[in-house]
Amino acid sequence: MTISAERPTDTVATSATPPSSGSGVSRSQRPGWLSQHLGTAIILAIVGYAFGHWLGNYISGNYPYIVNSGQNSISATLGLTFGIVGWLLGIGALNYPLAKLVGKSAPDEVEVLGWSKYFRYSTDHKVVGLQYVVGVLMFMFTGGLLAMAIRTELLSPTTHVFGPGTYIEIVSEHGTIMMMMATSLVVGPLGNYFVPLMIGARRMAFPRIEAFSFWIFMAGYMVIFSALPMGGFTTGWTGYAPLQNQNGPGMTGYLLGFAVIGLGMMAAGFNTAVTIINYRAPGMTWSRVPVFVWGILSTAGLLTLATPVLFSAGLFGLLDRCVQTAFYVTMHGGSSYLWQDLFWFFGHPEVYIMALPGFGIVGEIIPVFARKPLFAYKISAAGMIGVALLSFFVWQHHLFQSGINPDMRPLFMLTTELISIPTGFIFLVGMGTLYRAKIKFEVPMLFCMAVFFNFLIGGITGVFLSDVPVNVTVHGGFFVLSHFHYTIMGGLLFAFMAGIYYWLPKMTGRMMNKKLGLIHFWMMFIFFNLTFFPMFIIGLLGQPRRVFMYAQNLQGLNDFASISAFILGASFIVFAANLFWSLWINPEKAPANPWNSLGLEWQTANPVPFHNFDRIPVIMNDPYHYSEEGATALADLGGGATVGSTTSESNPA
Amino acid sequence: MTDTFKGSNAPTSTPEEAEFELRAHLGSVWTGGRLFIGMYTFMLASLAFSYFYLRSSNNAQLWRPNHITAPTYYGFFIYALLLLAAILAVYGQWRLRKGGVADWQVAGWTGVGCGLLALFLQIWEFTKVPFYPGSSGYASTFIGFAVMNIGTIVIGTYWLETTLARSLRMRKEIGGKDPELSNNPSAQSFRANVSSMTYFWGYIALTSTLFLFMFYLM
Repeated sequence: MTISAERPTDTVATSATPPSSGSGVSRSQRPGWLSQHLGTAIILAIVGYAFGHWLGNYISGNYPYIVNSGQNSISATLGLTFGIVGWLLGIGALNYPLAKLVGKSAPDEVEVLGWSKYFRYSTDHKVVGLQYVVGVLMFMFTGGLLAMAIRTELLSPTTHVFGPGTYIEIVSEHGTIMMMMATSLVVGPLGNYFVPLMIGARRMAFPRIEAFSFWIFMAGYMVIFSALPMGGFTTGWTGYAPLQNQNGPGMTGYLLGFAVIGLGMMAAGFNTAVTIINYRAPGMTWSRVPVFVWGILSTAGLLTLATPVLFSAGLFGLLDRCVQTAFYVTMHGGSSYLWQDLFWFFGHPEVYIMALPGFGIVGEIIPVFARKPLFAYKISAAGMIGVALLSFFVWQHHLFQSGINPDMRPLFMLTTELISIPTGFIFLVGMGTLYRAKIKFEVPMLFCMAVFFNFLIGGITGVFLSDVPVNVTVHGGFFVLSHFHYTIMGGLLFAFMAGIYYWLPKMTGRMMNKKLGLIHFWMMFIFFNLTFFPMFIIGLLGQPRRVFMYAQNLQGLNDFASISAFILGASFIVFAANLFWSLWINPEKAPANPWNSLGLEWQTANPVPFHNFDRIPVIMNDPYHYSEEGATALADLGGGATVGSTTSESNPA
Repeated sequence: MTDTFKGSNAPTSTPEEAEFELRAHLGSVWTGGRLFIGMYTFMLASLAFSYFYLRSSNNAQLWRPNHITAPTYYGFFIYALLLLAAILAVYGQWRLRKGGVADWQVAGWTGVGCGLLALFLQIWEFTKVPFYPGSSGYASTFIGFAVMNIGTIVIGTYWLETTLARSLRMRKEIGGKDPELSNNPSAQSFRANVSSMTYFWGYIALTSTLFLFMFYLM
């Protein structure tokens, strides 16, 4: 039997499952504060940490090298590991894997009512999406505060707020938290929430793996953050050996944190990729898949295949610290370059893990506000796949300066330059869509336009940096720093904001305040550029990264960048205020389809029902036929009710 | 991989929709099994890369002083057990397709035994290695391999054991029929899971052969 537009309407009587407030639900989903939830997770994490730390000391407290060094990486590692296990046990992530040992089946996925579901191990992709929103905002807030501390220190080359050690620890923690946050910034919140809605699915393929990815992601956040109270680490976010081996217990937090978040990234990528491949609604051929889903699929591929290498690199680093192997110790037969190779084999695809979902968001949003079909849709999808594939062949450009065979440099220079071609495809798709369009400058659209502006600067400087002579000249300085902030913050974070302003009405049923949104946008856009553009100049004038002292003649530019950064930071307070204002203080009910989008996610009821669609939609067209008279409707939602045609633009829902 | 089919249970589901969801689920188990192998390959490839990188670098002439290796007989025995478990998994699935439910279960539980014994030996081997973990590049990568191999064996054995345990319990749930032969959606899901699990055991056999050569014979 297949589902077609003309289908019977008999329902499966036995499959009805009413919303539950308790009975027949797994323990982790059961309401009531005595069952498993965030509170039990925290308690068991603390107990687990204490036990693991004690165990580590018990096992290894008398080892000579530990007594002599005064540092016990074994107890730190065991403490954090048992803490993570306690966390997962407390939240209920291990219930099903343990129950499987005796052959029990998976618990039913039923709707849990009330706020408590957001503090539990939920298998509803919409709940997980919102949990991720809060999670990534926590990452962003913490990393942002550390950025403010960095800029405060750089206000003066001679008067210091922090010592040099503390400064580099702050820089390292800022970089690590932000990079880890950025890997899940879109895939986590928006990918989990909207991919099933956009492909016409009622659920994710593996809902427990989806929930696991979020809760292990949060465990990774706490592990990485624990590095600070454990003395921090001084390697920057790249964790280079041999400095890595010389660092204290804080480095354990870094390595384990990376490995743990790596697990979360693999789980998220795996589940998302499988869902997109298998759960597309009937009629949703690959040429009708929304461009945002293409962005998430290519990212999921990278997450699934590149992150295991990061996991291994972190594991080897932990073995070096805990059992005295010598993977990264050159004098004992290892190699510090090995870390660089493994790290960047993940690290460069990671750049595209961060960029591709942003491209997807922009590609999804601009046709809505340009009221034009997406220009060269297939080129856009091909560009994303091309970027994802090529990203595995460029990692050595990070080693141009650190000992790569000079004969290898031209090859990796070429592959790095090649990747600008599919990236350019995506850029041109955006420009083609905007060409001669009557653009509606709503807040999400403004953020999309900013992505193009920022990414152009970040991308072009990236082409410069791929050239060996330029790379050798500006390596390790503020020029590079500014380049990657333009691509990651200017590209991804602006795209994320576009996505939040665009999709939050669907997620929460509330409209964001437009006036506050505009203030947020202009503050963020102007002061982002005023913060980071001067850093290109600072870098060309020779200021190195990660050093808290600098030449006196650079103070003016640094002060300008610092003050701009403070206002940039303040723009996030405006965003937070907008969230509180729009969601709780003065909530304004969102229309069913406030942007008149043709996207499938807007065609379902608001708020989105537990099962997303009453009937699995039959897809009849791609969702970009704006202003095309006579275009086929997007989908049949059952009973002959078609949605998503231009004739129904005024209120398609 | 999940071995029970849970549709969306939407109250408005039609029979075609339920069947569509079942097909999507079976496809997910198939895709997930193969994607998991792809993911695992990248992880093991990073170990192989480390091995050859350090071997070719031979820093401080400390790749493998005096050509010392981990105890070969342990390596062979662990390898033989994993190979046997993989062969039993493949044989069991072959018999299952022919209706030999008992054969599959006997082969499966024997495979679990092999996996547990291999796990014990892989851990025990740590006490028998004739080198300090950081004494050479070889020693370091061997310790890394052993840790990863413990993880691999745990995953493979867990997957096999949970599949077998599920088949015993499912019999009651689907009215006393053999889940291996029933047309019930959960039984179909179960068989898709058996297929992915068998594939993974084949993969374990393949990679074990590769690492046997690298760490014990080369």
